[in-house]
Amino acid sequence: MGKPLIHRSPMPGLGLSMGVTLTMLSLVVLLPIGALLWKGASFGVGNIWDTINRERVWAALFLSFRLSLFAALFNLVFGVMLAWVLVRYRFPGRRILDAAVDLPFALPTAVAGIALTALYAPNGAFGSIAKELGAKIAYTQWGIFIALIFVGLPFVTRTVQPVVEEIEREVEEASATLGASRGHTIRWVILPMLAPAALTGFALSLARAVGEYGSVIFIAGNIPLKTEIAPLLIVIQLEEFNYDAAAAIGIAMLLISFAMLLVINLIQVFSRRRIGYV
Amino acid sequence: MSDARLIPFRPATEETPTTRLVLIGLAIGGLGLLVFGPLLIVFAEALAQGWGAAIAALSNPDAASAMRLTLIIAAIAVPLNAAFGIAAAWFITKFDFRGKAFLITLIDLPFSVSPVVAGLCIILMFGSNSLLGGWLVASGYPIVFALPGIILATMFVTFPFVARELIPVMIEQGRAEEEAALTLGASGWRVFATVTLPNIRWALLYGVLLSNARAMGEFGAVAVVSGKIRGQTATMPITIEMLYNEYLSVAAFSLAAVLTLLALLTLLLKTALELRHADQLAAARRP
Repeated sequence: MGKPLIHRSPMPGLGLSMGVTLTMLSLVVLLPIGALLWKGASFGVGNIWDTINRERVWAALFLSFRLSLFAALFNLVFGVMLAWVLVRYRFPGRRILDAAVDLPFALPTAVAGIALTALYAPNGAFGSIAKELGAKIAYTQWGIFIALIFVGLPFVTRTVQPVVEEIEREVEEASATLGASRGHTIRWVILPMLAPAALTGFALSLARAVGEYGSVIFIAGNIPLKTEIAPLLIVIQLEEFNYDAAAAIGIAMLLISFAMLLVINLIQVFSRRRIGYV
Repeated sequence: MSDARLIPFRPATEETPTTRLVLIGLAIGGLGLLVFGPLLIVFAEALAQGWGAAIAALSNPDAASAMRLTLIIAAIAVPLNAAFGIAAAWFITKFDFRGKAFLITLIDLPFSVSPVVAGLCIILMFGSNSLLGGWLVASGYPIVFALPGIILATMFVTFPFVARELIPVMIEQGRAEEEAALTLGASGWRVFATVTLPNIRWALLYGVLLSNARAMGEFGAVAVVSGKIRGQTATMPITIEMLYNEYLSVAAFSLAAVLTLLALLTLLLKTALELRHADQLAAARRP
């Protein structure tokens, strides 16, 4: 016989905790997502394809995923560096820096959006410097890139930081004793230990960036084909009460983000098998 | 004295002082551009025309109603999510059943769904075009473009926060203490209140803190379901957007400054929790 569905346990509250968990999960998350999929099913695969297969939609989807990927890659490198600096070095203001990493989690996205726009607009503090150098940041893809870096900033640092804390110095000493340079030790000893956690942070950062709306729309300029992100297209369709088209784009976004997370999970399983879990 | 003595000793497990300085500089510079800059500009723009203008903007009836609405939403959504988080963590950590990993994946699902798609889902489920929503509107209980829809959207995006903090902590603490209390004849609720709750209180507070920050600041999901009716369904972030788009910069940034102060308070409390109760928080452990 197989395992029972639920093991017998002397613990109280099985019915209550299971009931609350499953009811709320269904009401708040599963049924609404089901409603989206149901809408898609009744709209039909052919119609969904016709909705997505337009230049403006492709441009928005491609823009969202491409810039999210770049922003997550930036956060991967910067986040690992930041985790290293915060754990290993002692300098004045380190605690403030450490606390500031979490600001993107705490600051509402709309606030971040208008603040970044005010800063990076051609007449803003940083934007005017860029303007003198002949670059435009806000209302271009660079602006979207910066907003996406902002929202994904804490993920890599926060997943990698505890791992850096637990690296034993003996391992680094052993590597140095065997004649490895510091750079060699970092590349071949330390980075492989950080890789699984860094990848987790990268995936979280990517997932967050793909769906981001609030901090991006202010700085993006929202020009169709150029700086229009996929979530904005959904909002535009909804404002025109075009629920079928909104659902079609929504389903496409869901599918692509799940596919990306699946790929990243597979890479993670593979890398853990290769370098071992640390 | 030989020349070798002049070279300062550096352990083999440390980077050169130059590398350190460069890395620290990059860290400060990067966070300056991305975090401290935006933080300062919010207050600078809010006070661009002095304190009087900022305070006048906040006492505007629309701003006041937005603040009230945001508080109401958090006061309803956050306790509901805390209750869910406790129930889910209890169910997952105190019992053994098949499909546990799948259930955890489902609870985490809102993290990988765009807030805009979350709002879209709620409109498709409860909007007046849907079967259920049509019936609810006909019976006088509209969900979408009204308070219940905003609360549902807020709960969707903050759904995993409390559960995610509690589950690792409760796994680590095991069941032995609860089992001992049960053997001594304590009732289920008593076990929870006197054994489990004291063990998880800091993790619970941590989860509630994060959940509250997100609930008060949620924009994408709420923007979609709220209908943006001024004075009725416009939350603080929505009102900020409306004011900003009307070029009322001082008013928009004044409201934004209130939310920023709230975010700073959240960070302060969070850091204090991490410093004092690191041993009882999941976030301080390895993922």
